[in-house]
Amino acid sequence: MFQVPTIADLNLGLTLPALSLALGACVLLLLDLFVPRERKEITAWLAMAGIAVSFVLNLAGFNESGTAFLGTFAADQFTGFLNIVILITAFLGVLLSLDYLKRAKIERGEYYVLLLLSAAGMMFMSSANDLIVVFIALELLSIPLYIMATFRAPDLKSEESGMKYFILGAFAGAFFVYGAALVYGATGTTNLPEIFAAVNGIIAAGGSQMFLLLMGTGLILVGLGFKVAVVPFHMWTPDVYEGAPTPVTAFMSVGAKAGGFAGLLRIMVVALPVFVLKDGQTAAAWQQTFWLVAAATLILGNIVAIAQTNVKRMLAYSSIAHAGYIMMAVAAAGTAGVANEATRAALLYLMAYMFTNLGAFGIALAIEKDDGSDTGVDNFIGLAKSKPALAAMMTVFMLSLTGIPLTGGFVGKWFVFKSALDAGLVPLAIIGVLTSVISAFYYVRIIVNMYLKDGEGDPAAGATRYVNWAIYVAFAGTLLMGIFPWIATNLSDTVVLAVEMFVR
Amino acid sequence: MLELNVQTLAFFVFALFVLGGGLGVITTRNLVHGTLYLILSLFGVAGFFVLLSAPFLAVVQVLVYIGAIAILIVFAVMLTRSMTSLHEVVNRQWVLSTIVAVLLFVMLTVTIILPVWGQDGSLAGQPVSEVVATTTDLGKALVDGNQYVLPFEVASLLLTAAMIGAIVIARDDE
Repeated sequence: MFQVPTIADLNLGLTLPALSLALGACVLLLLDLFVPRERKEITAWLAMAGIAVSFVLNLAGFNESGTAFLGTFAADQFTGFLNIVILITAFLGVLLSLDYLKRAKIERGEYYVLLLLSAAGMMFMSSANDLIVVFIALELLSIPLYIMATFRAPDLKSEESGMKYFILGAFAGAFFVYGAALVYGATGTTNLPEIFAAVNGIIAAGGSQMFLLLMGTGLILVGLGFKVAVVPFHMWTPDVYEGAPTPVTAFMSVGAKAGGFAGLLRIMVVALPVFVLKDGQTAAAWQQTFWLVAAATLILGNIVAIAQTNVKRMLAYSSIAHAGYIMMAVAAAGTAGVANEATRAALLYLMAYMFTNLGAFGIALAIEKDDGSDTGVDNFIGLAKSKPALAAMMTVFMLSLTGIPLTGGFVGKWFVFKSALDAGLVPLAIIGVLTSVISAFYYVRIIVNMYLKDGEGDPAAGATRYVNWAIYVAFAGTLLMGIFPWIATNLSDTVVLAVEMFVR
Repeated sequence: MLELNVQTLAFFVFALFVLGGGLGVITTRNLVHGTLYLILSLFGVAGFFVLLSAPFLAVVQVLVYIGAIAILIVFAVMLTRSMTSLHEVVNRQWVLSTIVAVLLFVMLTVTIILPVWGQDGSLAGQPVSEVVATTTDLGKALVDGNQYVLPFEVASLLLTAAMIGAIVIARDDE
């Protein structure tokens, strides 16, 4: 019968990091009214304070795990680790935006509110324990991004970017809901652990409900695949990344992927790891599909990136390719016994990618002109002469994206390839290594442009104080993770997402 | 198999409204006619809610979708009159996308039909809904152990974000 839930039932303590950020966004919306128009950097600092509070709360509760909100919210080390990635992304996103918005004359307090709301959506996503929460969090993550992408309006490219992202994103959201409905139809619940419990019964019955579950899983992959931009759901990425204001691109290239993969991992690893088509198989039914998607993403992303002349478009294709590497880890998670290792690999990859990609976008932002032009690959020519420090850091970012040892990117790739091999996906690992070699081609071209080609060198007028700070943090993170990988691996060692005890 | 009673009959009438209206929306060239078809389709959905013993949702469907949203669309169409007759824009991918769309449609249809009419028909005999969902039930579901507290709260944040967005995009700078 109905009972009024008490505060203790809700277990609010576990939800503090996400709730405090959401609350911070609401408070910021009000405080922003009192910030004078020409001093909007105050709003930015307040936003960073809100992120910092959430970060501290997240670290304080890192080792606690349990469920809150009557089972719809799960807090564990997976959440804790991803929250670190999301909060650092949001923090650096604000730092990159501070001067940029002023330069582009689009400075408005609402920007930071939207950024916080989007980050809160990502955090809810990382701890969603119910398909409905995954869906709502997905929308909370996306809607602010649509708006931020069009923040440079009436600039046509920015409007195109926001519009495209919105329409395709809404479309993808519909796919996700359809999939969730079919999974609900098969299992009779939206709660992830309960779906997990129901799956074995469905396999044993072997009836046409298998069909529902299979189709539902596929549609969920379509919905979330859109968000993380894997082939063949990647079409929007280059246009959106190119048209959106650069700090927004930086934020969404990492944040949306972190959120999307959080949802994908939660659904696949928590709810559907034992979903096989025939009794006795050791790999989940969805592994084959994920395998194909990962392989297609790696090949297409890396090859098309070579042809790009705009650095934002190039990084867009590179981000598609990196989604492929993370997808490789998700596919590996489909093999019984490897799920937790693969989850950790995906998390580590996301962290390395976060630092590196934010840094690379930071430098692209630094050489960008006030009107958003000059983001070509050729604009890097001679940067080593005009801005040696920036050029050196860009070199490290490019090497890290390629996956050269002593950088974060290498550590991420190492764990992803290892988990793929442990899962028996040898061909996929080989494709991963080969495409990494191909990727060196377009990453190194930037380094060649900076050091070996003669040219004036861009003055990098956008490299103002806060942008520099953000780039330094990203640089330090990339190197720290590469040289002392145990800092990150220790954090992720306690991540246990899958129930490994099950016997088939 | 199918019993022919008032409910079944009503179902097919509503289904005709929903599908016919939906087809009308995508085939008509005239935006105003499209809106009217949309209202027909939404009305059919409201009928489904009645059949599913969710009278409150049916009323909300009529009030919100037909009462508010459809009217809003009519206003939007009136204010953007230049868009009432649009030219068809077809790009080079139309063959491929047709194939993909048809395939997806067939797959979804099969997926939905199989559990009901397939060989084992495991879902066929089950009643659609055991309870009549009243407003009280709905209200309780949003705060009770029926686990919708969190989605409910996050949805409010989502609406806030959407509202901010609408203002940010629509507002002219000074």
